[in-house]
Amino acid sequence: MLVISDLSARVAGKEILNGVNLTVNAGEVHAIMGPNGSGKSTLAQVLAGREDYDVTRGSVLFEGRDLLAMRAEERARAGLFLGFQYPVEIPGVNNVYLLKAALNAKRKAAGEPEVDAYEFLALIRQKMKFMQMSESFLTRGVNEGFSGGEKKRNEVLQMLVLEPKLAILDETDSGLDIDALKVVSTGVNSLRDPKRAVVLVTHYQRLLDYVIPDQVHVLSGGRIVKSGDKSLAQELERRGYDWVMGAQVA
Amino acid sequence: MSAALRSFEAQWRARTASGARTADALQPIRDQAMQRFLKLGLPTLRDETWRYTDLRSLAAQSFEAAACETLGEIDPKASLSLVDAERHAATLVMINGCPPANASDTVINGIEISSIKALSKLDPNFWSRFFPAASDADQRRWVLLNTALFDDGLYLKITQQVAAPLVILHVSTGERAHEAAHPRIIIDAAPGSSATIIEHHVAHGDIAPLNNSNTHISLARDAQLEHYRVYSTSAGTTHLDSLDIHQARGSQCRQFTITLGGGLVRSSLEARLNEPGASLDSYSLLVGHADRHVDCVNIVTHAAPDTRSRQTARAIASDVSRVIFNSKVIVNAGAVNSNSQQSCRGLLLSPTAEIDTRPQLEIHADEVKCAHGATTGRLDPDMLFYLLSRGLDRETAQSLLVYAFLADVLTGMSVASARSAIENALISQLPDSQILRNFR
Repeated sequence: MLVISDLSARVAGKEILNGVNLTVNAGEVHAIMGPNGSGKSTLAQVLAGREDYDVTRGSVLFEGRDLLAMRAEERARAGLFLGFQYPVEIPGVNNVYLLKAALNAKRKAAGEPEVDAYEFLALIRQKMKFMQMSESFLTRGVNEGFSGGEKKRNEVLQMLVLEPKLAILDETDSGLDIDALKVVSTGVNSLRDPKRAVVLVTHYQRLLDYVIPDQVHVLSGGRIVKSGDKSLAQELERRGYDWVMGAQVA
Repeated sequence: MSAALRSFEAQWRARTASGARTADALQPIRDQAMQRFLKLGLPTLRDETWRYTDLRSLAAQSFEAAACETLGEIDPKASLSLVDAERHAATLVMINGCPPANASDTVINGIEISSIKALSKLDPNFWSRFFPAASDADQRRWVLLNTALFDDGLYLKITQQVAAPLVILHVSTGERAHEAAHPRIIIDAAPGSSATIIEHHVAHGDIAPLNNSNTHISLARDAQLEHYRVYSTSAGTTHLDSLDIHQARGSQCRQFTITLGGGLVRSSLEARLNEPGASLDSYSLLVGHADRHVDCVNIVTHAAPDTRSRQTARAIASDVSRVIFNSKVIVNAGAVNSNSQQSCRGLLLSPTAEIDTRPQLEIHADEVKCAHGATTGRLDPDMLFYLLSRGLDRETAQSLLVYAFLADVLTGMSVASARSAIENALISQLPDSQILRNFR
């Protein structure tokens, strides 16, 4: 599904990613962990197509296509979804309008007809109920006045409506209380499917108690320094990131 | 002396020589205004509030008084119609500033309508309330000329709580170039009254006179007014419009200034919050399109304790247009517990457009709360990326953000039909207007 080879990237002239290699197959859930400033969010944003991030080396294949040659909106329509660490507030653009436009853009790209307004509202209501979101969401601007937890739920809601092939969730767990974390995890798990893949970018092991990863990677200094199964996350939680970074030096 | 000044002086002399003088209770006020105007001359780039607007080509022209007649019938619906026909109290059509012939016979429940001329036999002291003493301030220069030269105008006395909006349709029209009109409106709201008044400026025909208009609003205790001035004149039109608002205790004013037309639009607002509890919300939607030049000046004076003002301005400029927003809040000595907010945001849609914003504060009292902020830029890249990452195409994403940028002003309007009509007209001046129509 996703093959990242030797990916290097700069942000504002500074080298942040420094030769990332990672392969994610359909049906898998990968967790990318790492200390602050290790390049986790940069990797997520580069994959989603942020233009002011400068890819200096390497390649990324998404279902065999050259991902880096595609624009952000093309990547989204091809089935890639980024759940933002800090979802932006857009007052004046309605949540439902955005979701509908996003879904229709995807359907149009796939040669499907636009979604029926009535069916769409029914779909949204069903997913909102699943994510335990209040009705007021329907009339508000995108993330407008949302709490941190509401914004993260909204990211997952969007993901559930758009049903991406590859979801990259950037610290979707941060700032959530335990109840919200369970709701978000249930949302992510509901998307698990042999034809889809999920990449969880996270600082803490907590989320991985609810969404069990197939593989765990540690990103440090802009490259993956260690990979393992879910026990790696537990070990990291116990011993801290210094342990991996120490091991790297040794 | 410039050609324009000479021509205005000639009009003044002609007026004085005719019989108009003797029957006019306003004559002493007019005399004073004209003398001051001739002494000070037209404002230039050296004057503080005119530094962005060059009137030299205007000063080189000679002007004649615009006529009250019009060629052909005016259809209020032919232009952007701001209210549903069945939902408004009345439409008063002012042609080049001349009130309708039957103005004084028009009776609306809760609003008494008179021509200023018809009332001019009254005690001059009555009028002095609505004609502030002649001032040297450069932002008032054209008001002096208006006071001296306006022939007749409209006086509206709001006596009750009136729900349906009243529309004043200002029609600029002419047969010859180089004419000038001086429309004058006085809105006098009685204690506890409330109303919505929409002033809509349109052009009829290809030639429009120089439009030097003034509206004076006086709100008595606990009066409430929602006031709109919408400029939809044609591209070649020069519009110099000034608005004075005087507010008594507990009065509330919501004011919307919307520039959707005109070639050069200079729009000033001077508000005085004279007694405790007075509150003003001013919204400005300044749309620069093609080569339009929009210069908006707001000066709000907190002259009493416990007064409140909030100014929300959104400027948007495309093509080679230029938009200026100058706003100043003055808190007088003793006006403690004044609360003011100024929020001005500008959005540049082309590299050749220009937006200048200058929020200013002048505070002479302690214990006040004054906030101001001004930003100008292009579309927020984080917002744009967010929308693109959801699969929206670039044009749609950009249009949505432009629309969202203007939403703060649009959502403040309580006349739904006006809001909708203004949105329609606005959208047609934005890039990718077809896309915007689809998501309304």
